[in-house]
Amino acid sequence: MKTSTLFAAVLLAFAFEPCPAQSMFRGDAAHSGTYTGKSPRQFHRIVWKFQTGSRVVSSPVWSDGLLYFGSDDGNVYAVDAASGRQRWKHATGGPVAASPAVAGGTVYVGSYDGKFYALNARTGVTKWKFATAGERRFEAKGLHGMQPAAQTIADPYDVFLSSPVVGANAVYFGSGDGNVYALDSASGELRWKFHTGDVVHASPALANGVLYVGSWDSYLYAIDAANGQEKWRYHGGEDAAIHNQVGFQSSPAVVDGVVYSGCRDSNLYAIDAATGREKWRFGTGLSWVVSSPAVAQGKVFFATSDSSLYHVVDAATGKPVVQQQGKAFVFSSPAVAGDVVLVGVLNGTLEARDLASGDLLWDFQTDASRRNAGWVLTSERKFNSPLLFRSNWREAPLIAANRQDSVGSIYSSPLVIDGVVYFGSADGNVYALD
Amino acid sequence: MRWLILAALCGIPVALCSAAEVASGRWQGTIEIPGNALDVIVDLAQDTSAAWVGSVIAPALALKGAPLSEIAVDASSVTFAMQRGFSRTVDDEAQFTAHVAGDAMTGTFRQGGQSAPFALRKTGPAFVELPPHSTAVAKEIEGRWIGEYELGGYRRHVILTLSNHANAAATAEFVVVGKRTTNLPVDLLTQEEGLLRIESSEFGINFEGRLRKESADIKGTFEQGAVELPLLLRRPG
Repeated sequence: MKTSTLFAAVLLAFAFEPCPAQSMFRGDAAHSGTYTGKSPRQFHRIVWKFQTGSRVVSSPVWSDGLLYFGSDDGNVYAVDAASGRQRWKHATGGPVAASPAVAGGTVYVGSYDGKFYALNARTGVTKWKFATAGERRFEAKGLHGMQPAAQTIADPYDVFLSSPVVGANAVYFGSGDGNVYALDSASGELRWKFHTGDVVHASPALANGVLYVGSWDSYLYAIDAANGQEKWRYHGGEDAAIHNQVGFQSSPAVVDGVVYSGCRDSNLYAIDAATGREKWRFGTGLSWVVSSPAVAQGKVFFATSDSSLYHVVDAATGKPVVQQQGKAFVFSSPAVAGDVVLVGVLNGTLEARDLASGDLLWDFQTDASRRNAGWVLTSERKFNSPLLFRSNWREAPLIAANRQDSVGSIYSSPLVIDGVVYFGSADGNVYALD
Repeated sequence: MRWLILAALCGIPVALCSAAEVASGRWQGTIEIPGNALDVIVDLAQDTSAAWVGSVIAPALALKGAPLSEIAVDASSVTFAMQRGFSRTVDDEAQFTAHVAGDAMTGTFRQGGQSAPFALRKTGPAFVELPPHSTAVAKEIEGRWIGEYELGGYRRHVILTLSNHANAAATAEFVVVGKRTTNLPVDLLTQEEGLLRIESSEFGINFEGRLRKESADIKGTFEQGAVELPLLLRRPG
């Protein structure tokens, strides 16, 4: 090989080198949801907790000893991972319901103010910001059977914003304006945008120069990361009546040439990354798969919303391996670390399960969940639906969704570093447990 | 008598120490607003000059690090205020008057002509969040800048004057001329890593921009609430 060719190859390798693991949503650019190192098999203590000014649905990421995350109080935070001390915060104009990505000394993250920020990772000072056409939540008439049926209603369960992925000197993310954006990571200049038919709040995964991301238009897309050209699209389910069983809210994981993604149509899909052909699907009845799958050791780990089931399926065939009944809805994405799988539950509990059996090893309940103001939960920590969902008229379902959060719901996906588990809660805290 | 003086002298630092220890820390609990109990976290501490500093977190109101003022600690009584109350933009003072006994702080919260009891418990050391401070600005951007923006079909002129001061933060005069002339009160002026930021929280107006040496202008954005407009500032004449 000529020296110049070798040099070019090395440059190319670095250009496509993703951020170090743990510095973006789901741990790596392909969003496998697996973390190096071990997770505790027993709960010992709260190492620290850091209070923000509102719920934390963002999942913390780690880089150079600092945790980075957003809060619905509108701030992006950098917190010392060892002590839980705030290093800096940066105010945006809206809730930061996305997870940041950190690369090359820059923190990238979007906000509900419709802007995408690049901040100095050390100081939090703005390097550049980019204005999208504006954020919004998924909305539809008669959504989930809410009344009045002809009224367009924003989905209270569209809680996440798209988390960016960094590679090839570009940063990629989805937006409520229906676009997937590629920006120059150094300058913030637009490289390309790809328009889908609806809100994109799933987070793109990047593998072999291709972006994979689902939209609320019910398509999962494969997009050439270099030029924004569509390679293929896969059609999920539709629900013209009440728009309940529609849309990709789950973020895909790409492992060994297969794209795994949950869907609100109550399926987990395995799609061939090269062709877009369905390899298998795993149906959950009528239970959303908002959770983004983790893939490890030839198995796919995910959980469901209404049926509250924890699933492990064979990655090659989609055949069930483990199924465990949980107590409440799961939106959080499982994290695999060593022989433990961690997953957050909307009843304010973090569960640690054995990788092989799925058996519960330990759980941690937030103070708000224990306090259970207004009997949001039953004594078994299930949602107390008769008291919560009093009516489908006007704002009642939206108020019920907010009341659910009062028990410190865990939407955030756990991060595991050196045996310490970090995650956010709707009680406004980021917790560090070991 | 000598023993009495000695005992009194020994007692003074003990009393001072206990007053500080009594109030200092993170206090977590609830203001019992009827039908709308409000969880709050209050951080109280003394800075290096022994002056009291504090901040408040109210997760239900998306509030983090609101500064406390008028903090007074006297033996077992503590009073403090939030100049803006739970508002981010307008003065709507809220006051706390409390009694401290061990790890319990109980008292009365007053806001908007109403009052409600509150009860807090000390949960650990204080994590006081100090408000950001203005900085000096680069010499090359000192002086007068002018520009204009259009809002609602009307053109507005901006006159910005930046001044550094010896051993102190820079100050700004930020004037907007439209149908009338408004001298915006500036409560924060920073230049960090080249980024100039000016905040007038009373009007909910911010400006953020960077000097472009090649064109000798400051390219930035004028923000008023959710409205964000490009604003290019040049030297007059």
